[in-house]
Amino acid sequence: MTRERFITELRQQQEPLRRFLLALCGGDDALADDIAQDALVRAYVASGSFLGLSKFSTWLFRIAYNCYMDHCRKAKPQQVDVEAAVQIPSADTADASFRYQQLYRALNRLPEKEKAAIALFYFEDRPVKEISAILEMPSGTVKYQLSMGRQHLKQYIQL
Amino acid sequence: MKEIEDFLRENKPRVKNDPAFILEAQRRMESVEGIKSEVDRQHRRGRVALVVALAAGLAVGVLVTALAFLYPVDPESMADGFWDSARLFVQTWKMYLMVLVAVLAVALGLVLSRPSGAAIRS
Repeated sequence: MTRERFITELRQQQEPLRRFLLALCGGDDALADDIAQDALVRAYVASGSFLGLSKFSTWLFRIAYNCYMDHCRKAKPQQVDVEAAVQIPSADTADASFRYQQLYRALNRLPEKEKAAIALFYFEDRPVKEISAILEMPSGTVKYQLSMGRQHLKQYIQL
Repeated sequence: MKEIEDFLRENKPRVKNDPAFILEAQRRMESVEGIKSEVDRQHRRGRVALVVALAAGLAVGVLVTALAFLYPVDPESMADGFWDSARLFVQTWKMYLMVLVAVLAVALGLVLSRPSGAAIRS
C-alpha cells in the first residue's frame, strides 16, 4: 500500500477510530489521540503486510485495539477525568454534559472486552462478524460480551 | 434493555474535527520513512561487506587448495619454519579445505540470489 493510499484511507477512518478509542479511554481525548497516533505508526509500518483479506478499517481497528490493550497492560490503573466530558463539543447543554459524564463513568467500570464490544456495536455500528475479527474472538463470545455489557450498563446508568 | 440501547446510540462519543491530527500522523510517517531508509541503507552496506568477505574467502580457499594439489610437499624433506608448517597443514587438511570452499561458494550463491530488501520486508 502506497503512502498516499494509506493517508486517503486514514482521512476516512480518523473520526471513527478516534471515537472508538475515546470510548475505550473513558472520555480522555488526549490519551485516545496518543493511542490513535501510535496505532497509525504501527499500521503504517505494517502496511506492506496488509493483503486486503479484510477491510482496511477492520485491520486498522484491530491494531488500535491491540495498542489500547498494550497501554492498559503498561499503564498503572488511574482515574480518568470524566469531567473532561463537559468539554465535548456536542455537549452544549448541561443535560448533554451530564449524559456524557454518566456514559463515560459507566464505560470505565466495564471490563475492556465488554467496553470494546459495546463501543464497536453501538457507536461504530459494526456487525458482530466484524467485531469478532477486530477483537479476535468468536462471534458467540462477542454476543456474550455485548449482553454482559448491556446488563452492566443498565446497572450503572440511571435513565 | 431497549432504553440502554437507545441511550448508547443517541450518545455516541463525538470527536473534534482536528486537522492537526492528520498533520501529526503525516509527520510521524515521514519519521518512519527516514528510519526505514536508514535501516535499508545499513542492510545494503552489510550485504556488500558479506559478499566481499565471502568472495575473498572463496578466492583464497580455491587458490590454496589448487596450490596444495599442484605442488604437493614431502613431509620428510621439510624444515621446521612457519611456511613449511603451513604448507604441511594445508597438505594434510586439503579435503576439509575443499569442503570449506564449497560451503563458501554455496553461501555466496545464496546471498547473491536473495532480493536486496528481503531482510527489511520480511
